Amino acid sequence: MKGSNRKIKVVVAMPGLDCHDRGIIYLSHVLKEAGMEVVYLGKFNTPEYIVNTAMEEDADVIGLSYLNDHLYMIFFPKVVELLKEKGCSDICVIAGGRIIEEDRPKLLELGITGFFGQSTPTRDMVQHIENRVKRERWKQ
Amino acid sequence: MGSKEKIKSTRRFDVCPVTETSAGIPLKEVYGPQDLEGVDYKNEIANPGEYPFTRGIWNNMYRGKLWTRRVFTGLGSTADTNARYKYLLGKGASGLYCFGDTITHQGIDPDHPLAQGYAGVSGVSIVCLQDMYDLFDGISLEDVSVSFNNPCMAATVVYSAFVAYAQDMGYDLKKISGSILNEPIHLVYSMFETNAKPLDLAAKLATDVIEYSIKNTPRWHPIAPNAYDMHEKGANAIQEMAFTIAIMEEYIQRMIKRGYDIDEFASRVNVFGCACDIDFFEEICKFRAARRVWAKLMKEKYGAKKPESCRLYLSVHTSGNSLTVQQPVNNVARVTLESLACVLGGLQSFDPAGYDEGYYILTEHSALTSLNIHNILAYESRVASVADPLAGSYFIESLTNKMEEEMFKVINKINDMGGAIKATELGWIGSEMDKELIKEQKEIEEKKRIIVGMNEFIVSKEEEVPIEVGRDRPLEEQMTTSKKREDKIKKLRETRDKRKTKDALENLREGAGKGEGHNLVPLMMESLRAKATLGEILGVIREANGASYDPYKILQYSL
Repeated sequence: MKGSNRKIKVVVAMPGLDCHDRGIIYLSHVLKEAGMEVVYLGKFNTPEYIVNTAMEEDADVIGLSYLNDHLYMIFFPKVVELLKEKGCSDICVIAGGRIIEEDRPKLLELGITGFFGQSTPTRDMVQHIENRVKRERWKQ
Repeated sequence: MGSKEKIKSTRRFDVCPVTETSAGIPLKEVYGPQDLEGVDYKNEIANPGEYPFTRGIWNNMYRGKLWTRRVFTGLGSTADTNARYKYLLGKGASGLYCFGDTITHQGIDPDHPLAQGYAGVSGVSIVCLQDMYDLFDGISLEDVSVSFNNPCMAATVVYSAFVAYAQDMGYDLKKISGSILNEPIHLVYSMFETNAKPLDLAAKLATDVIEYSIKNTPRWHPIAPNAYDMHEKGANAIQEMAFTIAIMEEYIQRMIKRGYDIDEFASRVNVFGCACDIDFFEEICKFRAARRVWAKLMKEKYGAKKPESCRLYLSVHTSGNSLTVQQPVNNVARVTLESLACVLGGLQSFDPAGYDEGYYILTEHSALTSLNIHNILAYESRVASVADPLAGSYFIESLTNKMEEEMFKVINKINDMGGAIKATELGWIGSEMDKELIKEQKEIEEKKRIIVGMNEFIVSKEEEVPIEVGRDRPLEEQMTTSKKREDKIKKLRETRDKRKTKDALENLREGAGKGEGHNLVPLMMESLRAKATLGEILGVIREANGASYDPYKILQYSL
């Protein structure tokens, strides 16, 4: 189980057919450098596959990225919804890419915990993950 | 306190901190005659229009013909795109650009289960022959050149549809001009790899387009490899050109195997679609060096005798990665610099990115500004009057030499591995690109690369001057656009003469099983005329070659 000393495990994935994966390639590198374990799913995933992988891998975090268009407003909520359905809301979901300002409140409300797009310092993301995971592990 | 801090922060920017190019070539403080010692002008540099074409491919360059002035287009329905084409042609554009949407790139149809929400969203959807009629309604194909951005395998179908349309409309195929991206190998590490599997089949189909085109559409450029995407995914300026040239060698060798002499086709496979990033001098020298490398390869390795075989046409979309979403107006300055590098680098065609490219597909205003960057450079600034005006500069010639040397090193390494397909399958090219990407991002984060408004000279949201940028279509609208496309294709499937479609597809299937030497373009044209769709055509070809009908393994052949 997720013992408090276990390495933080992050599933990194892009849902749908968006191909702009520059961000997740770099962020996966950053997460590894920060001492986390990365399960890299890359492009072209369905929300179901992302959630199932996160459960099988007993991940702490799902990092979603989307840039090309507006469909993230279907995929991201779906991921969160599936996690709830399966009783895995302890898995923290963060998002990156190009998430427009107007959509953010709604996504936060649904349970996405933070946005880390172009020009956010990566240490902010690392810190956010560490804090969230620490909190979740305390709860247990 | 406040003023003291200000002085401190300005002093930090008092000196130029840059000591190397983006690709890591060290830069001296000053260059002189000693940097060009031993350089043979006649053989290494030569006049513009002369081998090895370092200084450009024509002797009088832009006095003879200006670069083609294109602007990024491709939005929504074929009718929307057609309207934008007419608008741009009326404003001085001399070529049209057609960017495919996500699913066309993937080679799947709008009614594919994974296509929901994607059809016609960030580009134009081309699936059937009717789409060509809608796209080019009222535009004479003999008078403008059309540049399609579709990669193989979908490119084979798009090209076949374009030629079938041109033929059915009565155009003289010998007069139509333009290009299609076509090249599939780059997809493996840059974009929609599902469209390029199996890679060997994709390369075969790309070669079919080349072969058909040199015989039937002699003014068309049947392959325009995508160096751009590789650059945007990390490849530095040296790798960008070297990888692309190595990739092109794969097709050159296939064509030679099919029995063609290099001089029969080299002058048709010599257009590269590159990026032009913000490192001004490096980009100029990249273009000059790439022309020389290409010329030497054609002549020395492949024995080309005609000068046209040694000319490399370069076309550019200025780098989207170099733009920021912060203060979009700053992008006009970036794009202007990049466009100037294109002119000074002697390019044949380029499209300046829109200042709002970081948001979405350009607004009309942003597209017009891009077009006017062309116009200002071409007609106002006088920069285009003299061919290769930077030649002879100690720095420029020396950096060009260095880049040529480095490009050859990379090309030789790939050849040692057994060519670009092998180097791709081994994962070498991809991992080299990842390394560069990570290095670049790190430098941005550590402010070793300064990007104004993003990691330095940042203004708050309140200080930013508001400007209209391309907006995402609201989600509902995106879904509706896609649904309309889906319905249109479903209707096509219902109303067509199914037996005719099936017969044509079965003919294609039979042909597709006949191997490398059997060109599939004519059979694809017949399938398109029988109202078969992109997904069906590629599916049948894939099946005949032992792969799944649907790249995502969801759909089955059902005619």
